[in-house]
Amino acid sequence: MDEMEQRLAACFVSVLPDLSPDEIRDASASTVASWDSVATVTLLAVVEEEFGISIADEDPARFDSFKNILSYLQQVAR
Amino acid sequence: MRLVEALGIVKSAKRRDADPFSVFLATGLNPLHLSTFLAAELSQAFADRKIELQHGLYGDLLGNVSRLAKASAEAGIVLLEWADLDARLGIRSSSAWSPAVCNDIVATVKARASQLQPMIEAAAQRMPVMVSFPTLPLPPASFVPGWQAGSLEIELNGIMHSLRSKIAQRPQVRIPSAQKLEMVSPLRERFDVESELLAGFPYRLPHASALANLLAQLTRKPNPKKGLITDLDDTLWRGILGEVGVEGISWDLDHHTQMHAFYQRVLAALGAEGVLLGIASKNERALVESALGRKDLALSSDVFFPLEVSWGRKSDAVARILKAWNVGADSVVFVDDSALELAEVKASHPDVECIQFPTKDSTAIYELALRLRDLFGKSAILEEDAIRARSIRRSQESAEAYQAANSAPANFLEQVEAEISLNFSKAPLDPRALELVNKTNQFNLNGKRFTEAAWQNYLREPDSFLAVASYTDKFGPLGKIAVIAGRQNGTELRIDAWVVSCRAFSRRIERTCLQEVFSRFGADSIKLDFVKTERNGPLRQFLEELLGAAPEPGCVITRQLFESRSKDMREPQEITNG
Repeated sequence: MDEMEQRLAACFVSVLPDLSPDEIRDASASTVASWDSVATVTLLAVVEEEFGISIADEDPARFDSFKNILSYLQQVAR
Repeated sequence: MRLVEALGIVKSAKRRDADPFSVFLATGLNPLHLSTFLAAELSQAFADRKIELQHGLYGDLLGNVSRLAKASAEAGIVLLEWADLDARLGIRSSSAWSPAVCNDIVATVKARASQLQPMIEAAAQRMPVMVSFPTLPLPPASFVPGWQAGSLEIELNGIMHSLRSKIAQRPQVRIPSAQKLEMVSPLRERFDVESELLAGFPYRLPHASALANLLAQLTRKPNPKKGLITDLDDTLWRGILGEVGVEGISWDLDHHTQMHAFYQRVLAALGAEGVLLGIASKNERALVESALGRKDLALSSDVFFPLEVSWGRKSDAVARILKAWNVGADSVVFVDDSALELAEVKASHPDVECIQFPTKDSTAIYELALRLRDLFGKSAILEEDAIRARSIRRSQESAEAYQAANSAPANFLEQVEAEISLNFSKAPLDPRALELVNKTNQFNLNGKRFTEAAWQNYLREPDSFLAVASYTDKFGPLGKIAVIAGRQNGTELRIDAWVVSCRAFSRRIERTCLQEVFSRFGADSIKLDFVKTERNGPLRQFLEELLGAAPEPGCVITRQLFESRSKDMREPQEITNG
């Protein structure tokens, strides 16, 4: 995991504490039972806070997996 | 606090094996991250409890406040925002604005306020209720430009002000300071439009964090500090007295030393509120007395007791002051301009809060005043606060009289013309009783603390009793200085809480209180919910003397034993509500 992935993983651990470290990279709203709409909003707030960005204008449905959020962050960082 | 930190605190606090502390949050908005911040702040404020945060239904402010009044919670929080008082004041509404609509909004908010008042008052009869008034800006619904206060803004604020004034008179209602919130969370940085649209959560994270912190502090209501020890040179006044003399020290505008007068005024206010004020200074005593006699001092030198002026170590001076006050080091603040002196005192008295006086930084002195206000602030001034300083001064004479009497406790009480009155009334509830139970450490049966709601629920039980003892003697009144709370089951009594103020237990009134409880309830025995704590040595010593052995949890004092060991006791002079 690079630094960005590690920071994102820490965000996931804080919001979805039941996830084991092995499950984080493959986590998605459809596979994690505790990932509901409140978890999505909280996750986005924590990611905004952690990376100092605003993702409010984006469609929240886009951020439905670890990989999608990571991809978005990599895109913003470019 | 960051959201990720709050989530971590909440996660860790969930594993606590502790009694629950239930708080009901009544609001119309989606509390979302505010809940997380609040749970985290409360978990930190109540480190020995497991926080349970209850919610109502999103969008149902009145219903939720109504539920609060019936909730089995130990504290309630009512959070009001404009959109909850009238949806047209929020951005999720599609209703059009017009001058006529603005009038209707005022009428609606007024009606809501009228409905809320009795509900909040009903809840406050059962638990402390924190009420947060709108913290977000009003939307541009009115026709006036933003730089002008229009009738909508004035009238809505007037309605809120009126509601605030009415409910603030209730002893269990606490309102967060709008000024304090503004300092930590500026108005323009509070509203999160996107989050409001997305989730119905209108706060930016820093504002939610600041608001939660304030509400948790109000809920916790930390015990205020009791005493302040101040240095003199470059602290109470500018200048080194020994070098510049009495006329050379200053605290005025002409010398650009006005902030020392400001500090003196702060101390004067604290003294008037019952805070103990002492002096620890390396100086010549005669010089100090002359300086304190200057007519332009912003406070009377009488407020200081004791004056520890010598060339000895400051830590020794602080030790003598703590002894004279008979208070714990953790309830005392020491203010000195010298970092070295502060470190020396801190090393000997780690529990004393040591604060450096920022002599040449006026802004920092102002900040210091705000900090002192927070450390010593209290919701109300009780009779005992007003007489505390005087009674401590007199206690020196009293101690001397006791030594002179060199006799049994009963003789001592007679010699000092002691009058002890016990009040057994449970209604109206005396706030001083709970204050004593929660602040007293040394003569404390078990060190247990009660929340206001738990205390009220306990005393609502029909078999419970409460005795509050007041004391006065020829040296002056001490006010209410002892509390006994327990339950009666026939001729058996159980005492669950028993405290005697540190200002009073050297007067040997403990036996008198116990005797009166035996007498009033015709009890054959009293079972004590005794627990040894780190600091209840005086209580243990008393019980050991009485029982003839070290006290154990659940120890019992029979009437026979008590009478055989207490023949020299003196009857109380007066029993209130007896």
